[in-house]
Amino acid sequence: MRELSVLVQTIIGGIGIGSLYALVALSTSMIYRSMGLINFANGSIYMVGTYLGMIWYRGMVMGLQFSYWVSFIIGILLCAGFGVVMERVFRKLADVDLRNMLLGTIGLGFILDNLMIIIFGAEGFAVKSPVSSKPIILGSIRILPQNILLVTVAAILVIALQIFLTKSKTGKAMRASAQDRDIARTMGIHVNQSNAITFAIGFGLSAAAGILAAPIVYVNPAMGSAVGTKAFAGAVLGGLGNIPGAILGGVSFGIIEAISAGYISSQYTKGISFIIVLVVLMFMPSGILGEKQVDKV
Amino acid sequence: MKKNPKTLKLILFSIAGIALLIFPLLAKNSYQVHILNLVGIYMMLSLGLNIAMGYAGQMNLAMGALWAVGAYTAGLLNQRLGLSLWLTLPCAIVAGGLVGGFVGLPALKVRAHYLSIVTIGLNEVINIILVNETKLTGGVDGISKIAKPALFGFKINTEQRYYYLILIAVIATFLISRQILSGRVGRNFRAIRDDYKTAPAMGVNAGFYKLLAFIISGCFAGAAGALYAHLNAYISPDIFEHKTTLFIMTLTMVGGLGNLNGSLIGSFILPVLQEYLRAIQDWQYVVYGLAIMVVVLFVPGGLMQVFTLLKPYVTMLTSRFNKLKSGTTVGEDSNVS
Repeated sequence: MRELSVLVQTIIGGIGIGSLYALVALSTSMIYRSMGLINFANGSIYMVGTYLGMIWYRGMVMGLQFSYWVSFIIGILLCAGFGVVMERVFRKLADVDLRNMLLGTIGLGFILDNLMIIIFGAEGFAVKSPVSSKPIILGSIRILPQNILLVTVAAILVIALQIFLTKSKTGKAMRASAQDRDIARTMGIHVNQSNAITFAIGFGLSAAAGILAAPIVYVNPAMGSAVGTKAFAGAVLGGLGNIPGAILGGVSFGIIEAISAGYISSQYTKGISFIIVLVVLMFMPSGILGEKQVDKV
Repeated sequence: MKKNPKTLKLILFSIAGIALLIFPLLAKNSYQVHILNLVGIYMMLSLGLNIAMGYAGQMNLAMGALWAVGAYTAGLLNQRLGLSLWLTLPCAIVAGGLVGGFVGLPALKVRAHYLSIVTIGLNEVINIILVNETKLTGGVDGISKIAKPALFGFKINTEQRYYYLILIAVIATFLISRQILSGRVGRNFRAIRDDYKTAPAMGVNAGFYKLLAFIISGCFAGAAGALYAHLNAYISPDIFEHKTTLFIMTLTMVGGLGNLNGSLIGSFILPVLQEYLRAIQDWQYVVYGLAIMVVVLFVPGGLMQVFTLLKPYVTMLTSRFNKLKSGTTVGEDSNVS
């Protein structure tokens, strides 16, 4: 019985951290789907988003200080705006081949990371959680309220996104232009505009993930790189360009990580998770839910 | 006087050769020579990556780890068994090739961006092993006091002396790469890069050549690792992290993928540029990132593409110059032809 409750608790912790990866993976996957571009700067964008929100919460700009949730919304909106601007840069990158795309987005991440170091300094700060840090006890299972918050908000965002994509006209236009750019254009869809919206949503989701994670991680300019790689691994695991796949991939990456940390070896966690992704890809070369590979190289 | 292009080439080559040979004597301090030694090691790594990524089209994002395999093989053999560079170098090459082949195994099944995340993952895995297998690798402290090599009693213990060793190694690596790529193997590499579906249909054993590309880049990285371990006398896991892989990739791509000269130029320019950019401290990486973006967006073929783009102008200018010298003007020239 005790064994089981430990397992359940580990899995719940994994889902918490996994929903974080899922949000960033979703951002990566949506951007890939819209213009066939792999964004290796996703970790940096997650970090920038965190800062864009947390500077308001900590009153770092002109002494303005807001509550956590107001900062959350401001951060998402600012990062979405940043996404619209970045879409112009990425549009150029989408036309070059995969290897250049990779290098270009890495270069971009480099610039963002180091600009943040110049602006805010290399040392980070801790953020106070908006909910209490006392674990909720259900029988023999202890759950951190921040974890519940993370999963709930992530779920709300994902459901809202799904409704937006399937029900609204803009969302349908976005899906159409992701499927076939040229035909969408002939149908009167403004492809660049709908790509810009995709970027806004993608960047906004990354910011949401970062701001939600801020109370449980230490906010600093280097926080993005690990999450970026893991989120990318999650997106690939679920199938790049597939929205349910990104969520499934991100969450399962989190669970794998938690289980291997708890049961196998905490030092080898990262290695084990990557090995599992490798094994899955060997049998399903385009991810769990991915369609057959489309050649964009 | 008519200049034979071959003699011109020969003159240029000998000037370059002499410059390379006497550089350590001209250098202001041994730090400059040290940077050049690192440049040489990067050249070897970059050549290896170029074969895998530029010629065979395989995303090998584990170069940092393969370099580490070479360095640790050499370091451990030297520390535990007291072997000199002449014995650790071949072992490191073999070890690098073996691990390179292992890293390349997923390439049989997955491609492009999927392969890139898999190799990034394997890079992490190897690095984690280096950090955590403390008994074997020394953990985060790494291995220190790796002996400098000696040749028939002549100790190669200064940066200047080591420079010549690396020079020979780079030239050998370059010639080997050129030899590999000029024949059947090179053709098959390019075939699987340009069209991975048609190549097997034409009878190219795609799986074999994909693995071979990884093995070759692993061997080069292994050799570079052994030279690095004996040069630096100290190695630790943080030297070979993911960011190192990205740096090697950047060198190669800024120089020009699919062009061996590009590897040499990229590996020279970027580390030297970095030394000069040190003066602006934190801004150096921003400038560096901007430089990458400029290359990717405007000259996706790397610096080698700049030369190819400039070539017609250079020939035009030289021909005009020659004509001016011989007394004809450009206007008359068009009438004559």
